[in-house]
Amino acid sequence: MDDSDEALMARIARGDERAFHQLSQRHLPAMLGLARRVLGNAADAEDAVQDAMLRVWTHAPRWQPLAAFRTWLTRIVVNLCLDRKRRAPWVDLEQAGELADPAPNATEHAETTEREKLVAAAIAELPDRQRAAIILTYTEGMSNAQVAEALDTSVSALETLLIRGKQNLRRALKNVIED
Amino acid sequence: MNQNKTDRTKMNDRQFDDIIKAALKGNAAAATPDDAAVARVLSRLKAAPLPPQKRAWWRLPSELLDWQFAPAWPRMAALAGCAVLGFTIGLAGLDQTFDRADAAPPALSLFDDSDGIGAGL
Repeated sequence: MDDSDEALMARIARGDERAFHQLSQRHLPAMLGLARRVLGNAADAEDAVQDAMLRVWTHAPRWQPLAAFRTWLTRIVVNLCLDRKRRAPWVDLEQAGELADPAPNATEHAETTEREKLVAAAIAELPDRQRAAIILTYTEGMSNAQVAEALDTSVSALETLLIRGKQNLRRALKNVIED
Repeated sequence: MNQNKTDRTKMNDRQFDDIIKAALKGNAAAATPDDAAVARVLSRLKAAPLPPQKRAWWRLPSELLDWQFAPAWPRMAALAGCAVLGFTIGLAGLDQTFDRADAAPPALSLFDDSDGIGAGL
């Protein structure tokens, strides 16, 4: 049986719950990771992704396979995360700092961790769409066209978001990157 | 000296990108969900009844035309079996006995004088 995302979506559109759970299981890890990076909070990320999957179920009969399912799902997750972020604008920076990086020695490891923590904090402070653009571009391995699709914008607008985001990061991290 | 300092402090875009990438990579490793989190969300999705789906009215014709015979195959087989049996009985003439028995008696003719009633007319 064809178990591609599109085939599963066709079955979900006919009310097949088993197909829905199969599709959820396939995409949950990546979407939870993305939600955690955007929200900076594990509990909220779980709620957002659960909500996103329920929307997939609800809107499945209306879904047209014009874009890849993954891109559509990413768009839903990002939008829900940004909505949550707008409603409760706080960031769990403690969690962003708990990293396990196999650095060659303790000092270097500490420096790297410290730098990552500061960069993560600076990214968390960016405006929502700039943050989402940077996270999707640098961590999800998506092309600019896919990120633009996920953010419901054009490629040129995405490039502007990235430039502004990086300018803001440079400003925020001026002292860190000059060391 | 000043030039050196400018070179050192003025980071080009590629170097800056590398730093962001490295930091996000580390951050991504920290944000990678564990199996327990995935299982938790999955169990929540399975536990609650799923909401009703939203159907698009413009797709109604295609949904009506989307015949799904798969669950009705036993009934289709029964129907086809009945049809074959009917043809077999008809072609073999097994039903003629019943036809003869069911045939109506021939109608009486007004001009049939075999019983002598109409002889004087």
